[in-house]
Amino acid sequence: MTITQFNIASASWFRPELALTAGILLLFLLDVLVRKQSRYRVAVLTVAALACVGVAAALLAFQPVESRAMFNGMIASDPFATFWKWLFLGAAALTVLIAARSDEFPSPRIGVFYALLLSVVLGMFLMATSLDLLMLYLAIEMVSLPSYAIAGYKPGDRRAAEASLKYVIYGGVASGIMLFGLSYIYGLVGSTNLTALGVRLESLAAPASAGGQLGLRVALMVAVIFVLCGIGYKIAAVPWHMWCPDVYEGAPTPFVAFLSVGPKAAGFALAVRVFYSFLASGGGPEGFARGLADVPWPAVVGVLSAVTMTLGNLSALHQNNLKRLLAYSSISHAGYALMGLAAASQLGVQSVMIYMLVYLVMNLGAFLAVIAIAQATGSETIADCNGLSRRHPLLAVTFAVFLFSLTGLPPLAGFVGKWYLFVAVLSHYAGDGGAWYVTLAVIAALNTAISLYYYVRIIRAMFIEAPAGELVVRPRVSYQIMLGTFSAALLLFGVWWNPLIEWTQASLTFLTRG
Amino acid sequence: MRITLGLDSTSLSRRYPRLAILATLFMAFGLPLGLYVAALAVFPLNTPERLDAMAEQWLGYDLAGSPYRYIVYTAFLLLVAFIAVNYTAVFGGVSTWVERRVAGRMQSRIGPNRPGAAGFLSWVADAVKMILKEDTIPAEADHLLFRAAPYFSMVGLLLPFVVLPFGEATVVTDMNVGVFYVAAASAFVVVGILVSGWASNSKWALFGGIRGAAQVMSYEIPAGIAMMVPVLMAGTLSMQGIVRAQGGWPWQWFVFQNPAAFVAFFIAVTASLAEGNRTPFDLPEAESELVAGYHAEYSGFRLAIFLMVEWANMWIMAGLAVTLFLGGWQVPGYGAEDYARLLGTGLLPAPGWFGLQLLSMLMFVVKTWALVFVFIWLRWTLPRVRVDQMMSLCWKYLVPGAFLCFVVTLVWQLLVPPAGVAFTGYALTALALFVLAKFAVATRRNISKVAGHRVDLGNW
Amino acid sequence: MNTQFAIFVFLALATLIGAASVALSRNIFWSAMGLLSCLVGVGGLYVMLSADFVAITQLLVYIGGVLVLILFAIMLTSQIQEISVSNRSVGLVGGYLIFFVVSTLLSFVALWAPWRLTSKEPVANTTVALGDGLLGTWLLPFEIASVLLVATLVGAIVIARKEVKSDS
Repeated sequence: MTITQFNIASASWFRPELALTAGILLLFLLDVLVRKQSRYRVAVLTVAALACVGVAAALLAFQPVESRAMFNGMIASDPFATFWKWLFLGAAALTVLIAARSDEFPSPRIGVFYALLLSVVLGMFLMATSLDLLMLYLAIEMVSLPSYAIAGYKPGDRRAAEASLKYVIYGGVASGIMLFGLSYIYGLVGSTNLTALGVRLESLAAPASAGGQLGLRVALMVAVIFVLCGIGYKIAAVPWHMWCPDVYEGAPTPFVAFLSVGPKAAGFALAVRVFYSFLASGGGPEGFARGLADVPWPAVVGVLSAVTMTLGNLSALHQNNLKRLLAYSSISHAGYALMGLAAASQLGVQSVMIYMLVYLVMNLGAFLAVIAIAQATGSETIADCNGLSRRHPLLAVTFAVFLFSLTGLPPLAGFVGKWYLFVAVLSHYAGDGGAWYVTLAVIAALNTAISLYYYVRIIRAMFIEAPAGELVVRPRVSYQIMLGTFSAALLLFGVWWNPLIEWTQASLTFLTRG
Repeated sequence: MRITLGLDSTSLSRRYPRLAILATLFMAFGLPLGLYVAALAVFPLNTPERLDAMAEQWLGYDLAGSPYRYIVYTAFLLLVAFIAVNYTAVFGGVSTWVERRVAGRMQSRIGPNRPGAAGFLSWVADAVKMILKEDTIPAEADHLLFRAAPYFSMVGLLLPFVVLPFGEATVVTDMNVGVFYVAAASAFVVVGILVSGWASNSKWALFGGIRGAAQVMSYEIPAGIAMMVPVLMAGTLSMQGIVRAQGGWPWQWFVFQNPAAFVAFFIAVTASLAEGNRTPFDLPEAESELVAGYHAEYSGFRLAIFLMVEWANMWIMAGLAVTLFLGGWQVPGYGAEDYARLLGTGLLPAPGWFGLQLLSMLMFVVKTWALVFVFIWLRWTLPRVRVDQMMSLCWKYLVPGAFLCFVVTLVWQLLVPPAGVAFTGYALTALALFVLAKFAVATRRNISKVAGHRVDLGNW
Repeated sequence: MNTQFAIFVFLALATLIGAASVALSRNIFWSAMGLLSCLVGVGGLYVMLSADFVAITQLLVYIGGVLVLILFAIMLTSQIQEISVSNRSVGLVGGYLIFFVVSTLLSFVALWAPWRLTSKEPVANTTVALGDGLLGTWLLPFEIASVLLVATLVGAIVIARKEVKSDS
């Protein structure tokens, strides 16, 4: 098959992405065509955006299940990717629903927001599927660049401008560093294909001289660390997390909700693929393997994980702004999820998938509660929650459910996610480097306790403090429905988690090294 | 006391009219012709292989193995550059005279007619005057950048000469990314405009610089896309390759070979007028609004460089349009095999080859001058556009139009058979001739209404 | 000394000095001029690698586009020279430390790592190969880049433009 034929044949496996692309262009057009003063403008655009997501979902449902590389090895179509694509589409649909009734997107600007949101989704699709370093980089940019624009979406708001600018600067530096690392990898092996990379990197002939050998090791280490920098920035792991609170504070909240689950999940999907293609490959999948350049990369990820969750939680302790608090909380959750990656096993990958799935629901729910509170009070501090249980019990209870789930208390789905992460890490306790893994698990347990403190601060404000004034809190009906549904789902899957396990189990096959 | 310079109108030329005519003839024909001949003699030899072979055969010197070979090559390149730079200066000068004379006729006045026959030497006088004037630098200016700015523009002007083919063999080098290179090189002119606007530390200059940047950035897009149309038709980015894909007769020119190219030609010319800051797009130096725009603070030789760049840019614009759309140097009735046959196999080609080369250069020069005349007419006919008109013309009409031409050309290349292309060539040529004839008739009628039934050349 | 090496050193110095002056110059316009030198130097290095198309693209995109836009932005910004950066010297020591560590590390890698070396024909025509690659093997990145650019462009316009009159 020639290259062109291969490209044409791949297009039929690429339908959800094509639908999204068409949707983006359609929304740009609709945004211009639907009159700015029209009463139905928001409704029309929301329906159009949901329709795009729906068409993509329908096409995704009919996607062939077997694994396959497409477009000359640029991207993969495999059950693993399909799992993430469902997750992304779900997050996108929920974000559209939240944004439609939010005050933060004035109707003249909402059409472009939907289009940019869909282009971020397209980028996340590509992040979850990319099999090539170039594609990987482009996918990350595809997620980042529209996000920068949306972060500064509030016109004339200094915090929004600050958020956008900080996001651009951190993002630009991170992606530049990542690109530099990718160029090292290409310079060493002369290939950008992830499936070929692992084998080629290992079979690199060690130079005769001692300096050459050291040079190779250092080059590989620098390359991997630089690539990690780009990925770590996307999932907001600790040395690269600084943008997170400011962006979360300044950007429109519905988009922050999306940002905290979507791109983070995409970052994990990408990290898993990269990790298994050339990092966690030294001594078999189960174990404390010395990978590339004789560095135990799973242990490095483990250290990152411990630092990330600890720093995230400690910083969250004294936050009074709900969005900043949730930002630090989302950093610490990235740390928890990194445990699954550090476990470097099938179970570890599965636990990351379960965790991101559950995290999607609970974090979206928490942000939705914040939006509902902010719509009533006009600001989003913990003090705004005072006496919420008396003003609007449903909102208070569901918010408490989300927060408990984020802590990881049974019988909520957050517990299931955390449980699997711990199981994945602790299954190594008897093996090579078991002490390390046990330490990591202990640190994670301690962190869970710390996180309980600041989550409970909110809950205390809602249930114990007296309301400050006679403020009426009446969330929009669609928000109430969503809040109810989300907490019901968390409760349901907290006691009946088999579907999660089965689904993720079935989605574990993915293309990495050839 | 009166200081009389040699070229002063009242002294030498009046006292020795024959000398004036001789000097004029020399400057008007001898100088350019000499440069053309020098270019023809030097440009084709400008490859290391040829130089090596020549040194081997004539001097018995093994240049290729010599440690000094790069010095020789560089010296030769400098010679090439010297010819190109001088050509630019001479063209820039001559075109100012032509422009002023044409403007004079269009406005029913005489124009410069003192130094030399028909005032031809006035451009030399201008140049001398410019050089003798004081080179002032404003006290608050950024001195180094202020001095450097004209050279940026100069570099931007000179770079395209590297690939602009004057004839079949008369090109410095035939880069395989030639068209792309020309588009890129013009960036330096903008940098020059911006730097001069900034370094002058004057509001007028700053506004001129900003306008210039916005304008050139915008118009680069339609110009670039329209220039892609002939690239698509020829299947190469090389300037010589594009010329070779066309023929000598008008119906073999790209402009007449498909309707989209016909439109693209006008888009490209309009956009390059704007890129070169020619009226009606001379907003960066609009006298009525910005004094003199980005070069308001300049005087003396530096101003001369800016002005030279502006006028000599016409040659690049016109030459590029001729090369891409109007058949370049192709001589009607002579094909590639004629050049090859006349070239022979010896170290030096036959005299007939040189004749043909001169003929091909003549074709290019005549076409380019014709287009330069059109540019001058446009300048003295159309009023300056407003800033918003300039922007909307670019983004609302030229850019979509250029894209459309691009797509139509793609489809045309795929679908239309050679017979259809040939027919289009004849049809569009006929159309163009018809329009030209109507134009000539209308012009004659208009002139006869004013000046009494004759085209008056008396005041030359 | 090899002539090619001498040209390389010249271009590399132009790039490095340009880059350094971008970072160190107090006058932002001079920083932009440093960027010009840096970008032209990189373009020259591409020519030395016989990547003619990429070299010209570098000139067209980075000088004709990026640099001119930067200069444009500088000129539109008022009082750019009198601006006082409030946290100029904070972390200067740390900055130097990072600079020396990273530059030592990267220099070591550049000198000692076993890079894959390939040799190419001097000034071969790369345009055709690039075109085939972009529409063949690398079709998907090429097309995705266009979607990315459209989305980014619209996003930039949306946050930059003045607020249109909202629903009354």
